[in-house]
Amino acid sequence: MSVLMEILSPDFLLRNALYGGLIIGFVAPLVGVYLVGRRMVFLGVALPQVSTAGVAGAFFWHALFHRGGLHEQDFWLALAGATGFTLAAILGLALWESRGRGRAEGWTGVLYAFAGALSLLLVASDRIAEIGILGLLKGEIIAIPTSQLVTLIVGYGVIVIALWLFKKDLLLVSVDRDFALSLGKNVLGWDLVLYLIVGATISLGVLLVGPLVMFGFLIVPPLIAGRLVTGIRRLPFVASLFGGLTAFVGFAVSYKLDWPMGPTDVALVCVLLALVAAAQTAIGRLKRI
Amino acid sequence: MLFPLVRLEGATVGYPGAPVLANVDLALDGGELIGIFGPNGSGKSTLLKTLARILPPLAGRARFSLPDGRAPSIGYVPQRETLDLVFPLTAAEIVEMGTYGRLPLGRQAGHAERERALACLEKIGAADLRRRLFPALSGGQKQRVLIARALVAEPDLLLLDEPLNGVDASTAEAILVLLERLNREQRTTIVLVTHHLTAVRHVIREAVWIHAGSLLRGPAATMLAPEAVHQRIEEDFLS
Repeated sequence: MSVLMEILSPDFLLRNALYGGLIIGFVAPLVGVYLVGRRMVFLGVALPQVSTAGVAGAFFWHALFHRGGLHEQDFWLALAGATGFTLAAILGLALWESRGRGRAEGWTGVLYAFAGALSLLLVASDRIAEIGILGLLKGEIIAIPTSQLVTLIVGYGVIVIALWLFKKDLLLVSVDRDFALSLGKNVLGWDLVLYLIVGATISLGVLLVGPLVMFGFLIVPPLIAGRLVTGIRRLPFVASLFGGLTAFVGFAVSYKLDWPMGPTDVALVCVLLALVAAAQTAIGRLKRI
Repeated sequence: MLFPLVRLEGATVGYPGAPVLANVDLALDGGELIGIFGPNGSGKSTLLKTLARILPPLAGRARFSLPDGRAPSIGYVPQRETLDLVFPLTAAEIVEMGTYGRLPLGRQAGHAERERALACLEKIGAADLRRRLFPALSGGQKQRVLIARALVAEPDLLLLDEPLNGVDASTAEAILVLLERLNREQRTTIVLVTHHLTAVRHVIREAVWIHAGSLLRGPAATMLAPEAVHQRIEEDFLS
């Protein structure tokens, strides 16, 4: 209880990390619902890694042309790197699929491996950048500057509004492309809107919480919600609720036990999924008896 | 009074780099009830997708117009196996999607759309399925739901791809009775692709047979006469 009182206090030192984690916990599952529903889960793994490579690329560029330590304004450089790499990857894969060359699963796997390697190689010669990238990969979220938190709030606010405004069109093209075309919808255009939303969500989130947490919050809460609800209307809300609650409980646990926050959040949400699955199996067996 | 609803003129239909039928001329007038037939792989579904504006012609032209100049609204019923859902959509939510074509950008489906979806489910005798998960429905139930989804779009042109596949005889009969009634009472133009010649012979008025890459068209009674069918099947098989 004392931990809860402490972290809920307005003067709490790590409050920005708590708020950042909560925002990502609530919003990422809203986007992840589409990745799961479109069978693009593997992309949900690969894109955060690509985004991290973008951050490493930005650090590398900084080291080449601006010798000296990183400053807060370099956040924008890192954000540009993460966004650029993520959008290039997602649009490249979409183009591959739209040309009728089948699902780009193999290339997504290659992308994941290459992005992971590139993230480490690009910062290998710069000790400060290397520590930064390793921190991102480990999901150590300790201090988020207020300016970055504000950027996250604005960016994710726009994403939530876009998801609400375009909900029916994004759902329609995700569920049945042919039917959407027969209704006169611009399917490629809506795919592009969804990819931009996914890319923006991942690049903003990865910069603050790293690829592991981003993947965990994108994919696992929608999987939990999919097991619990009937109907698409409640699915995003339930997924978002699980994401937000996990972020809060995960933060409290990691603070209390002095564990890194990212891995604690992801382990917690995976345990939740396992518990829900086990409970459903047990209830199913009891009903059959 | 007849009016051209859809007109394909010298159209090549198929996928980019893989044309299926070349130089197709086909006109669909308002109020027609037509079946499209042919051997597997002959291009029936591809032709239907072109009529549904899903696949634009690779060459030639496709014109869609109503007498008042508007484009006709289209209700498309895909082969139900193509709809393999991960999303936990209920039958009512699937049907509701048929209203999305008429909703302006940013407006979500509301009470009126839900009522229309329910009315269409009732029309097709599937109102009891509305809260059930679509992936958990049987083949015949899914087929009814997909037809209801197409109907809720209030289509001028209803296009159905193998609507009788995998459904029992009584469901098939109910589907055909419904289509005949829609065509008679609402003058909806209906085109269906099917292998079930016997079942539809007395329902459709015209038949299009895809034979050796060409379209043969005529009255259903003549085109689907057993001897004519046997001869075409034999020729298709030998070719």
